[in-house]
Amino acid sequence: MSVLELEGVSRQFGGLRAVDGVTLSIGSGITALIGPNGAGKTTLFNLMSGLLPVSSGRIRFRGQDITKLPAHRRAKLGMARTLQIKQVFAGLTVLENTWIAARQRHRPLDPFRPAANDRATRAAAEAALETMGLEAMAGRQAGSLAYGDIALLEIAMALATQPALLLLDEPVCGMSPSETERTVARIRTLSATTDVVIVEHDMDVVFGLADRVVVLAEGRVLADGPPAVIAREPAVREAYLGEDEEAA
Amino acid sequence: MSALSVNRALTLLLLIALVAAPPLLGWMEVDFWLVVLTEILIWGLLASSANLLFGQVGLLSFGQALYFGFGMYGVAIGIDRFGLGLWPAMGLGIAASLGMAAVAGLVAVRLTWHYFAIITVVFSLIFYFLALRLKPITGGDDGLSFAAPPILDWGSLRLTLGDDATQYWFVLLIVVLAFALQARLRASALGRAFAAVREGERKASLLGIDVLRVRWIAFVIAGGLAGLAGALFALFGRYASATHMYYTVSGEAVVWTVLGGAGTLLGPAIGAALLILVREELSTVWEHYPLIVGALTIAVVVFAPKGIAGGWNLMLARVLGR
Amino acid sequence: MQDIVILALNGLAWGLIIALIALGLSVIFGLLDVINVAHGDFFMVGTVLAWVAVDVTGSFAIALVLVPLFGLLLGAVTERIAIRPVLSTIVLTVVSTHGLGLMLQEGVRATFGATPRRLLAPVGGTVTLPGGVLYDTYRLVAAGAAALALLAFFAFQQRTRFGTWMRAVRHDRETAMTLGIPVQRVQLMTFSIGAGLALLGGVIAAPITTVDFRAGIEILPTCFMAVIIGGLGNLPGTAAAAVLLAVTEGVVSAVLDPSAARIVSLCLMSAVLFLRPHGLFAGARA
Repeated sequence: MSVLELEGVSRQFGGLRAVDGVTLSIGSGITALIGPNGAGKTTLFNLMSGLLPVSSGRIRFRGQDITKLPAHRRAKLGMARTLQIKQVFAGLTVLENTWIAARQRHRPLDPFRPAANDRATRAAAEAALETMGLEAMAGRQAGSLAYGDIALLEIAMALATQPALLLLDEPVCGMSPSETERTVARIRTLSATTDVVIVEHDMDVVFGLADRVVVLAEGRVLADGPPAVIAREPAVREAYLGEDEEAA
Repeated sequence: MSALSVNRALTLLLLIALVAAPPLLGWMEVDFWLVVLTEILIWGLLASSANLLFGQVGLLSFGQALYFGFGMYGVAIGIDRFGLGLWPAMGLGIAASLGMAAVAGLVAVRLTWHYFAIITVVFSLIFYFLALRLKPITGGDDGLSFAAPPILDWGSLRLTLGDDATQYWFVLLIVVLAFALQARLRASALGRAFAAVREGERKASLLGIDVLRVRWIAFVIAGGLAGLAGALFALFGRYASATHMYYTVSGEAVVWTVLGGAGTLLGPAIGAALLILVREELSTVWEHYPLIVGALTIAVVVFAPKGIAGGWNLMLARVLGR
Repeated sequence: MQDIVILALNGLAWGLIIALIALGLSVIFGLLDVINVAHGDFFMVGTVLAWVAVDVTGSFAIALVLVPLFGLLLGAVTERIAIRPVLSTIVLTVVSTHGLGLMLQEGVRATFGATPRRLLAPVGGTVTLPGGVLYDTYRLVAAGAAALALLAFFAFQQRTRFGTWMRAVRHDRETAMTLGIPVQRVQLMTFSIGAGLALLGGVIAAPITTVDFRAGIEILPTCFMAVIIGGLGNLPGTAAAAVLLAVTEGVVSAVLDPSAARIVSLCLMSAVLFLRPHGLFAGARA
C-alpha cells in the first residue's frame, strides 16, 4: 500500500506552473526525487508537507485526504520533513531540539508538568539522537554544531516525531565526503523502519540509496522507475544527467 | 557550583530581602522606599508580560498597556460601580484583560514582527481613545477613584491596603506567585513549545506544533499577567486612568525588559527596578532627571546588549568556566 | 459641504507633512533596520527650533533653511552615538532611540519650557478657492512645501549617485558592500537625512500645530502606521498612505468629533493590517 498519493497536483506562481499535474504514489523504501534546478522538486515537497497550498489536485496520506491540512496537522499524522536550508532551534540544546520533536505526540502544550520529569519523551529524544550518532552532543547548544551535525540533528528531530514518512530535502548538500558517507549510512539504517522520499543532487547518493527514482522536469514527472532503468533512459540523460555534468 | 545554583541562591536571597523589606526599611528610617518598592513590583510584573511575548515567543508587543488598562478599569469599575470586594474586583479585572487578549490575539498572532508590533499599538490606541470618550464608564480624563475594600475582614483579623507594609506584602505575594507561575511555565512542555516557535516557526510547524495556537496562548497569558499588574496598580493608587493605557506605557514595558535582559525570568523586573530607582533618586536632586535616564538607557544597550541579567549570566558562565 | 472640503483640505495638508516625516522613518527603517521611536521627537524638535528661530531672527525663511540643516547634524550625531553600536539587533534600536527620545523631550522642556506655544503663520489671510470656499493661505503653502520636499527627495533618490547607493544598500547590504559602496557612510547619511526630513516637517507644521515638547509622542503612531500601511520599503506607498490616513480622518471628523474620527481611522487601520498585511499597495508576492 502506498503511504502518500498525489493526484494531479499543481502549483502556480503567477503565470508559472512550478508543479504541473503530478500524479504519484509513494510506497515503501527510499524514493528519490531528481531533476534539474527549477524542476519543481522543492515546491513539490512544500505541497506534500503543507508549507504551500496546492493550486489544484488532491493529496492523500495513509488513506486520509490531507489536501487542505496545514503543515502541523500533517506532521501529527506522521509526516516529517527536513529543509533544504538546514534549520534547527539554534538557541536550545541538541537534546531539547529532539525533545520538542518527540513531545508533539503527547500533550504538547501542557503548561504545568516540568519538562525535565517527562522520562518517556526524554528517552525517545535520546533514541533519535543515537540513531543519527549525535548522543555525545546532547548537551551542546544546537547553533554551535558543525554544519554536518546540524543536518544530522535536523533528521534526528524529524525521526523523533516517529514519522511514517520522512521527506529529506538535499540531506547531504554542503557536506564533506566523509560526512556524506556517514549520513548515507544513517539514512539507509532508518529506511528499514520508515519510508523515505529524498530530493538530492548528488547522483552517487541517489543511485546508491534509492529503491525508486522519480525524475521531474518543468514541474512534470518525466520518468519513474528503479534506478538501473532510470540511469539508462535517454530522455533523462538529456534533460537532467547531461545538464548536471555541465553544472558540476 | 553551576550557574543555575548560583542564580537560585541569589533569587532566594532576593526573596528573603523582599519579604523582610518593611521592617528593614523601617529600621533604617526610609519608609518612603516601601511605596517605591511596591510600585517596582507592579511595573516589573507588567514588563514580564512583554517579556513572555518577546523573550519567550519572539513577538514584540507594544500594546501591553491595553491589558494593563483592562485590569485597572476592571478593578476600579468593579469596586466603584458594582460595589465588589477586593478579590472579586481583581477577578473581574483579570477576566476582562484575558477576554480582551483572547479576542485581540485572534487577529494579532497572525502577524509577526513589525506588523505584530504595529497592530498591538493600534489596538491599544483604539481603547485608549475609547476610554477617554466613554466618560460615564471610565470617568474620561478625570479617571475613576475609589476607596479600596479590605484585603481580609474576618472580624478581629482585618487587613487593609491603608497600611503601607500590608499593601506591600499583599502586592509582593501576588507578584511572587505570578513569577513562580512563569518559572513553572518556562520549564513545561508549553514553555519549550514557546521556545521552538521563537527559534524557528517553520521548523516548529513541520514538527507538529500549531504555531498560531501557541502564539495565541502566549498572547492570552501575557494579557492576563498585564491585567493582573493593572489590577494591582489600580488598588495601589485607588485610581484608574486612561493615561496608563497609552502606548508609551507599553513602550516602557519593552524598554525595562530589554534593559533587564529579555528572555530571562527576572530581567524585566530588574530593568524596571533600575530605571524606577534611578528616577526616584534623581528626581529629588534635579528636575530634568529624564535626561540622565535617557542617557543611561542608551548606555546600557550599547554596553550590555543582553541586558543586565543577560550580561550577568555571561559573566557567570565565564567565571565558572562553563 | 464647505466644511467637508475644508476638513479634507486640512487632512491633505497635514497628510503631506506626515508623509514627509513618515518618509524619514521609512528610509531609516528600510535601510538600517532601525525602529526609530524618537522620530516623532525629531519632528517636535523641528517645531520648537522653528519657533525659536522665528523668535530670534523674525524670519520664517531662515528657520526653513537652518532647522533642517541642524536636523541633518542631529541625525548624524545620533547615528554615531546611539544607533551604530546597536545596529545588529532591531529591538535594541527601539530601546536606544527611546532613550534618545526621552533626552530630546526633556532637553526641550528644560530649555524651551513645558508651556505649549503657537507660531504665527508667515503668510496670513485666506484665499477663495473655486466653489467659494475660503481657505487658510498658509495651509495651502504648507501643503505645497511638503509636496515639493517629497518630490525633491524622490528626485534625489532616483537621480543622484548617493540616492542610488541608498537604494542599493536597502535592497541588499552584503552585495552593496562587495560592490564597494561605503555602506557605513550611507547608513549614517540615511539616518541624517531621515532626521532632516522630520525636522523639516516640524518647521512646515509649526504654524498650524502647537509647539509642545509632547508633540512627538502624539504624532509617532500615525507615522508608523503610514509606513506599515504603505508597505515596508515602499516610499511612494508610505506617502500615499499618510495622505489617505489624514484625509480620511479629516473627512470623518466632519461627521463625528475628532477623537471619534481617530477611533474610526484606527479601526480601518487594523482591518487593512489584517487583510493586506504587506501594505495597501503591495503587489501579489509569491
